[in-house]
Amino acid sequence: MPTTISDSTKVALTKGARNQRTLRGVLNGAVGIVAALALIPIGYLLVRASQKPLGETAQLLFRPKTLEVLATTSALVAGVVITTVVMGVAMATGLHFVRLPFRRLLIIPAVLPLAIPSYVFTYTWIALIPQFSGFFAAGFILSITTLPYVILATLSGLRTVDTSQIEVARSLGLTPIQTFRRVVFPQVKGHISAGALLAALYTISDFGAVSLLNVETLTVTIQNMYKASYDRSAAAVISFVLIAFSTVVVLADERIKKQTPDGNAIKAYSAKNTLINNGWLKSSVIGAIALYAFNAVVIPFYVLISRFLSNQVAIDWADLLTAAISTVSVAALGALIALVISAPLGIVLSGPSTRIGTIAQRIITVGHGLPGVVIGLAVVSIGSKLGALYQTTFLLAFAYALLFLAKSVASMSTSLSRVPNSVKDVASTLGQWMVIKRVVAPIAAPGIGLGTVLVFLTAMKELPATLMLRPTGFETLATQIWSSASINRFNEAAPYALILVLIAALPTFLISRPDKADRSYIQETINGIQRGGADK
Amino acid sequence: MPIKKKSLVKVVVVALFATLLAGCSSNSDQASDVTELTVYSGRSEEFIAPFFTQWEAQSGIKLNIRYGDSAELAAQILEEGSNSPADLFLSQDAGSLGAVAEAGLFTQLSDEVASAIPAQYVAANRNWVGVTGRARVFAYAPDRVKTLPLSVADLTKSEYKNQVGIAPTNASFQAFVTALIENKGADFAKSWLKALQANGVKIYPKNSAIVEAIDKGEISIGLVNHYYIWEVSEGLGRDINVKNGFFAAGDIGNLINVSGAGVLASSKKYAASEDLINFLTSATTQAKFVSDTHEYALIPGTAAPAGVPALDQIGAPSVDLSSLKNIKTTQDLLVEVGLL
Repeated sequence: MPTTISDSTKVALTKGARNQRTLRGVLNGAVGIVAALALIPIGYLLVRASQKPLGETAQLLFRPKTLEVLATTSALVAGVVITTVVMGVAMATGLHFVRLPFRRLLIIPAVLPLAIPSYVFTYTWIALIPQFSGFFAAGFILSITTLPYVILATLSGLRTVDTSQIEVARSLGLTPIQTFRRVVFPQVKGHISAGALLAALYTISDFGAVSLLNVETLTVTIQNMYKASYDRSAAAVISFVLIAFSTVVVLADERIKKQTPDGNAIKAYSAKNTLINNGWLKSSVIGAIALYAFNAVVIPFYVLISRFLSNQVAIDWADLLTAAISTVSVAALGALIALVISAPLGIVLSGPSTRIGTIAQRIITVGHGLPGVVIGLAVVSIGSKLGALYQTTFLLAFAYALLFLAKSVASMSTSLSRVPNSVKDVASTLGQWMVIKRVVAPIAAPGIGLGTVLVFLTAMKELPATLMLRPTGFETLATQIWSSASINRFNEAAPYALILVLIAALPTFLISRPDKADRSYIQETINGIQRGGADK
Repeated sequence: MPIKKKSLVKVVVVALFATLLAGCSSNSDQASDVTELTVYSGRSEEFIAPFFTQWEAQSGIKLNIRYGDSAELAAQILEEGSNSPADLFLSQDAGSLGAVAEAGLFTQLSDEVASAIPAQYVAANRNWVGVTGRARVFAYAPDRVKTLPLSVADLTKSEYKNQVGIAPTNASFQAFVTALIENKGADFAKSWLKALQANGVKIYPKNSAIVEAIDKGEISIGLVNHYYIWEVSEGLGRDINVKNGFFAAGDIGNLINVSGAGVLASSKKYAASEDLINFLTSATTQAKFVSDTHEYALIPGTAAPAGVPALDQIGAPSVDLSSLKNIKTTQDLLVEVGLL
């Protein structure tokens, strides 16, 4: 039987297969290294927790206070999740299905609060209402801080809903509410859950808002133990309670996602035919967004600007500029490191599911719920043994990368999975790097780039790890805000907070650009997270 | 998207450049004559920076100052161990100094250092010395508190129900509880804390929050340090409805705590560090602390801050400040009663 494949092709195929095997080996090795890096904080906690006698550990775990704090944390997380899901789904559904004037522009106020750190929200609200404090205040602040995650996640889900089913439902005489409940909701459940997961993990690991508002969550207890009792072992033990709690949240999310129908089925998309033109609905959607924007954008800006203007102490412009440059550069470096170290895992996760990919992603997800102070001390513990590397911007940037790794992994894997499999097959027989450069990169680059911007954005706002790991004398906008606010000089903190919000608003605006709304990559990132990652 | 690419490149270039700069400025000191000194300062930049600047000018040595919370910096030093880049640790309170001293990370200071500071404000083994004095007081709303408490024990009485504020995570509160345990025993301290809780004590994250809460009318009395009423009032830019009160003479509630400094055993710049401590404890600097930060000077003969009695008129209990290093017992107790 004559051969149909020429010898040279055979050689090429064997070579291609060998190349692919080598590449896979290299990738898996790299994923192993990334997983090991992500394990640093958990390993650190294990070492510290094991230094406590078992009896004391048990006593600590089962004392009434631990249970009380766990209950407070659960209640706060539940409150924030319920509020953000109800508000976020309603607002996203309104934005998607109701015929609104300047519909796409309306998305901006719904996303802009993403640029404002929870502690700045808290400062501005306390400045406005001095009595602002307690559980409900914390629930309110964390809800307005995390609402954009649910809005964006839901919007991205709504864009993939099969509109022909909606038309069928309507022709069968279902009311809009029935249609939403029976047709739309089952299809976007997973997306909503992804947004809710982000809100939940943010709430679990938040320190700024809860400590200022006098609510003790697990993160506050952990911070107090380090800070007030120098008891690193006790803090580590409580950290494992937090990890267990985050795991429950992540598992709940995974369960909801499993019930969501297959996203690869062929669907019909046409938003035009399903737009609702109803005056009452229109005004309530606009009203809801206006109310949110008032609470989450207008009030913080009003307070910051009025504080800025009434500031009696001359603003140190040089300090302000230095802090702004420091903040931007170290956050950018962190985003860059996150980009580099998330690449192998992103590539592995974009392909068929593998055990090493799944395990690595779980480690990253679990580590992602940890408060900044834990990551900070873990890096202090190891970093202080590294000599000249300790307390450099590089190490701080590296800590940022560790903290927000899940974010860049998610955007990386989603972007790469958009590259058609046929292209990947071609890549296995041709020069790998050529294909990556000419085909893969152009398709995936915008998504990866904007995922990196998301890490940058979050790193700029980071405080607890920054305080510990920055080079001595190196101040970021966040540390300057802390330093003024810690001695109750809110007026002096205002210019720093204002600059932080303005700088952060720029990338926020880019990733939610109305003309690109349908292809917005922040939503792709959230899609990626929905596939198993996590976010903060 | 050529514009986006370019701006990304710019961001990267700026980032790398800044990293190089930061790298240069923070790790460049291996020369034999000291040109730089690294200080971990638990005292806030706002209040202490002018003092540091003055020393830099007169010594010609550049200070790399890491500002943070005293206890967090102590935790960081404990984590760093002998690898700590810090030469000197300046703390808000004796407790954090005690924690570092207990871990054996401070060096013993020579007798010539801060020789004007009275012995009761210096660690027995000269691991650290006090720099300024801080009196524990009860801050209160004069219009709402009818009877002033004579002792901390009075705060558990029903007339103060739901009206008292404390900050259990705050180092100066813990120092006070430590002194309470040292003076009256752990059992007394425990039952006092429990009685406070039963009396509806309100928990705050820090001293200033207590003073603010009194001003707002949330509570009427709180255990704080004496200078917070100035700090909060200056921060708010207005007068506040809060006054300082002292307990009866000798009551443990009138504890005098100190901010202080120690030199890290791992530091190779001992002489320069000592010089900085001598500067901070000199007569001129001490007087400046009184006028600028409303703290007490520790060297005898310096005037007290306006509006509070002199250090020796307070009726402070006699407490060995070195004993305040036993914070572990305090913290175990606070954890046990559920305040931590």
